[in-house]
Amino acid sequence: MLELLLQTGVNAVYAASYMALIAVGLVLIFGVMGVINFAHGELYMLGAYAVFYFYVEQSLNFFLAVAIGMVFVGVVGLLMERALFRPLRDNPLGGLIASIGLLLCLQSAITLGFGVRSKNVNPPVQQALQLGIDGVSVPVQRLYVVIAAVLLLVALWLFLKRSRFGWALRATAQDAEAAALQGISLNQTSRIAMFIGAALAGVAGALTAPIVPTEPLMGHSVIVTAFIIIIVGGIGSLEGAVVAAVLYAFVHTFVTTFFDGTIADITGLLLMLLVLVIKPTGLFGTKERA
Amino acid sequence: MSGIFYKKGLNRRRFLQGTAVGAALAATSVPRKALAQGEPVKIGFLAPLTGEVAAWGLPGLYGCEIWAEWVNAAGGIKIGGESHNVEFVSYDNEYDPSKARAGAQKLINEDGVKFIMMLGGDTMPPVVDISNRTGMLVSTLLPSDLTPDTKNLIAPCEVHPIYNVTGVEWLGENHPEVKTAVICAQDDALGRPSVATYLAAFEAAGIEVIDDPLFFDYSTTDFAPVMTSLMANNPDVICLDTSYADFVHPLMEQAFLQGYEGKIISCTADFYEQIIEKTSQDFVDGMIFQFPDFDDAALNESQVNFQNPNDFYAEYAKRWPGEWGAVSWEYASIMDLWKAGAEKAGSVEPQDVLAAMKEGGTGLHAFGEAQWWGKDLFGIDNALVGDWPVVVIEGGKAKIKEFKSIPAWWDKHGDILVKHMDAMGEMYYQRT
Repeated sequence: MLELLLQTGVNAVYAASYMALIAVGLVLIFGVMGVINFAHGELYMLGAYAVFYFYVEQSLNFFLAVAIGMVFVGVVGLLMERALFRPLRDNPLGGLIASIGLLLCLQSAITLGFGVRSKNVNPPVQQALQLGIDGVSVPVQRLYVVIAAVLLLVALWLFLKRSRFGWALRATAQDAEAAALQGISLNQTSRIAMFIGAALAGVAGALTAPIVPTEPLMGHSVIVTAFIIIIVGGIGSLEGAVVAAVLYAFVHTFVTTFFDGTIADITGLLLMLLVLVIKPTGLFGTKERA
Repeated sequence: MSGIFYKKGLNRRRFLQGTAVGAALAATSVPRKALAQGEPVKIGFLAPLTGEVAAWGLPGLYGCEIWAEWVNAAGGIKIGGESHNVEFVSYDNEYDPSKARAGAQKLINEDGVKFIMMLGGDTMPPVVDISNRTGMLVSTLLPSDLTPDTKNLIAPCEVHPIYNVTGVEWLGENHPEVKTAVICAQDDALGRPSVATYLAAFEAAGIEVIDDPLFFDYSTTDFAPVMTSLMANNPDVICLDTSYADFVHPLMEQAFLQGYEGKIISCTADFYEQIIEKTSQDFVDGMIFQFPDFDDAALNESQVNFQNPNDFYAEYAKRWPGEWGAVSWEYASIMDLWKAGAEKAGSVEPQDVLAAMKEGGTGLHAFGEAQWWGKDLFGIDNALVGDWPVVVIEGGKAKIKEFKSIPAWWDKHGDILVKHMDAMGEMYYQRT
């Protein structure tokens, strides 16, 4: 039984890691720009396809392909900010609808370019590390995801707390009008937020491409989970997104293992409802953002 | 000037009555129009061509394209002394019931198809309504779609999930050391009846299922917890049920990474070369499933009713390398049966072809002689059932180990299957 509990815990740590990367990016974009980016799942999908193209088709090193994928998706985020979200800055509903339209465009573009069938991405190392207790292991590819998530989220935290750009982002997220009056460029903070948010989704997709089926609709399932996480964590709260990702991943993974996956999905939604009933702003949310 | 324009005597009530009668008449039947000389016969292909279930639609359309080219090159189908080419009109239903309904309406009303082939499952109920109103003949790969009300729906090729009993029967006979099993499946119209069938097959084979079947949602992306749960009780065999290809691959990968060493049985193992790439040949060798590669020498046996299976496979592999899957040959096989029925009836009209196909209660199935069957399980004898191959991966290649009889299994263990289907709520009288 101990083995089963530990193995399930290891599985949950991986799930929390990639979910946190996606959810934090989504929160950052919403916090700074006020846009509910429904196309965030497709940015995750683009990251996975970037790895398929550069690693599988062009035979580049896997980690180089992941880095290219992260930057590429970040640049896509910049284009989204300039072409879609900036003209609709004062129209949150317009931004949401534009992101839904973009979602469909990205899915169709990938379908046209790569076909409908899922792509096979073999991991660079296909082995599992034994964790000292018989029967408890972690596949190396999953370990990469966990390490990358920890490093990137710590780097993001340092960036937000210690750099001038980070202060500007936080100021904009707290009160965009006041930030602008202090001389902070909203265009620049939006660009930075969109690049970082998109790149985080992209790197999550790139690193998990060898683990999940890489196909044009793969963004659907993660965007639903990401929205549950940011609602549980508190809309606009980065710390809340990380804590909620861990909470959701552990609840979902343990319920899947000890009951079944369908019950786990229902439990995840019940968790969200419970938090909304007890604390409508989410675990770390504030009334201004609720 | 009143601003209201209507013909004298035509009030709102009459207008609505007239519209309703007109709509009812229009929807009552397919226009019965004789084919002009040389006019092609149009066949509807209404299946998922994109999305998670595309692997059970698109490869079938590829197969139909080869079938049509070969049949048309040989003179087409012969109806009343005249030859007609066959043309496929495809519609991507994305495995979405509302899109399936729209697709059926388009294929019937705009394209004038004479027969519609579908995968079935969740997309079938709205099309059955249309089929019942219009008389359109529709085929499914899933006999679990059949009910006493689906009079124009036939399952002439794949008898999913009933053929899964043959794999378990073979496992029990050839591996008596296997005593325990666990099952997982996605929670949908494909997964649930298949779970009931596997439960019955394991019970009939004397293999104990040691945990409740584990259902997972269609949107699942992380299969590590699913596999951890399945392996918790050290089963001798893990059954992947009728999981989609996008689920079978990560499940197999997780079984490999988590150190599973027992047997694996699955309805399908589409694109199994990719599974081998992600795991190892040693790990995948011994996997039991139900869908052969058509370059298998066993398909040249005399009872097999599929034209040049080895050539078909070679042509398919040449055009779409690495795309061969469970359904690549199935829709083409259905077309063989439909063509034989149409030529026998001397007509392509749906009801004429249906009557010709079912005449005498027997027919030639892809794997030999078969009978129209299903009354006890589906409430209607619209499934063509006979032998089905048991396939095992050996040396990294799928090989037919044996053709086993589904009717023979049913005669011995039918009551067990009914018991499990009933418990799962999958009998025809429990389905809405």
